[in-house]
Amino acid sequence: MANKATFPSTEWFQSLAGRMHENEATYRALGPVDCVMVVKVDVPTGTELYEIVFEVFRVKSVRQLARLDDAAPTHFVLEASLATWREMIENIREHGSADLEHTLNYLTFPDDPMLVDGPDQLEIDAFYRYNQSLQRFFDGAAAVETSFPR
Amino acid sequence: MGRYTPAVETGLDHMREMARGNFGLQWMDSNPDGWGHEVTPGPAGLRLRDIETGHYAKIPEHGSHHGSMAPRGCYVPEETRSLEMYTLNEMSEVWSENAALLYDEAVVRQWNSVTDVPWDKLEKLPDDIEKSVCQMCTGLTEVEFVAGDMPAKWMCRINHDFHEVKLFLATQIMDEARHLDVFRKRALANGGGLLMASPGQEELLAAILEAPDYATASALMHIFGEGFVLTLFRQGEFLAPTEVEKTIFRLCMQDEARHVAYGVKHLEYFLERHPDRAEEIHSILDLGEQAIFTLTLEPQTVEPRAILAGGGLANIELGMQRMAFIYAKQVREYLRRLKVAGLDREPRLTIPQEIPFEEIAA
Repeated sequence: MANKATFPSTEWFQSLAGRMHENEATYRALGPVDCVMVVKVDVPTGTELYEIVFEVFRVKSVRQLARLDDAAPTHFVLEASLATWREMIENIREHGSADLEHTLNYLTFPDDPMLVDGPDQLEIDAFYRYNQSLQRFFDGAAAVETSFPR
Repeated sequence: MGRYTPAVETGLDHMREMARGNFGLQWMDSNPDGWGHEVTPGPAGLRLRDIETGHYAKIPEHGSHHGSMAPRGCYVPEETRSLEMYTLNEMSEVWSENAALLYDEAVVRQWNSVTDVPWDKLEKLPDDIEKSVCQMCTGLTEVEFVAGDMPAKWMCRINHDFHEVKLFLATQIMDEARHLDVFRKRALANGGGLLMASPGQEELLAAILEAPDYATASALMHIFGEGFVLTLFRQGEFLAPTEVEKTIFRLCMQDEARHVAYGVKHLEYFLERHPDRAEEIHSILDLGEQAIFTLTLEPQTVEPRAILAGGGLANIELGMQRMAFIYAKQVREYLRRLKVAGLDREPRLTIPQEIPFEEIAA
């Protein structure tokens, strides 16, 4: 699995998926994850959407979406500007995992700079229910040399 | 007159028959419909939903009339005595489509406060911060085990045919034991201690424990109470001064979200079959809302969080301003969960959707 990728891209999320597969034992200890996460990145040229489907201890699929309506009906959305995503990823790269002020919950709790939303509250609650595993998934960025669009 | 009681004499007679080679063996062919069952474990292992198929997936709308603990799907001999303790015999009173899934998820996601929290990373905190963390933990230690006591009160009344629900509730009791334990440990572990209990919380706890039936108790606790606490756990992670509290709140958050998920799907199942009972749910929520509003503004609840949000006692006003959105978020998510369950609560809401914390702070 490539350890070098541009964020945001399907390759970048596949790199994280690869880390997850390599470290399946760690994820087994955390428990199964069954949810669909859509990552929404506000880039200077518009918005990019990526759907990551988690099934048990692995990522089942990663794909870029043309629009949110193309996502699986049961999903939640993590939305932030490219600058926020970049800061989070660089923080993870620097510390090996997110520090106290860059965890997914820390960034999303005030709804700013990152927002968690979804078609209904139970789907949003899945983000809380699997939070430890999702955090570990993004902490996988520590091992991915990431470049960002200018 | 024999030396032993009739029950023992009967047992001895059976033994004598077996000694002569006369075995019953009726049990071997007692349940032909349930024999030859095949299962396929999934990638997560062998979940309840993998085994509860075919003959064993038949869940009766009305639980077994024999009233025993005989497992669903086995043959139950006529002479099996009833335990006379199951009063929740209608599936709709307790069922939730996700109960089995949540049970499996819960048992795999168990953690412990002994070794899963990095206690060695505790560090000496300024007095006002330590006191705020300890007060927050005092409140959570007080409130958390209601979600253990409430299921325990009803679990032994649930018909044994609905074992998925009973199993899930058992995991919830364990979850809440762990929450009580971990918040108590945190309060005592860093040179501080427990601080002030909350009369406001007791009002809410009483409403949950005194609810007239399981469905209303569940709506009040699983959706309303645990939904509000879920937000507090998220806030706790947000405000955590060290990795220790961060870990505690993140782990508790996951547990609490499972409980909320059960409650929402249970209420949905219940209301689909008993739309006429929506008014009872509204009435219990009226009570809960009044209690939570009082509780939210209690100094021992709001002030420690404001101190943590502001970064210290000197900035408590700033902390109050930063807290303004939390109550609104709690109410918004509460209304949205009820909507998923099929209850439009917004027109009936008895408390404000927002509290002007900025004005209070000013």
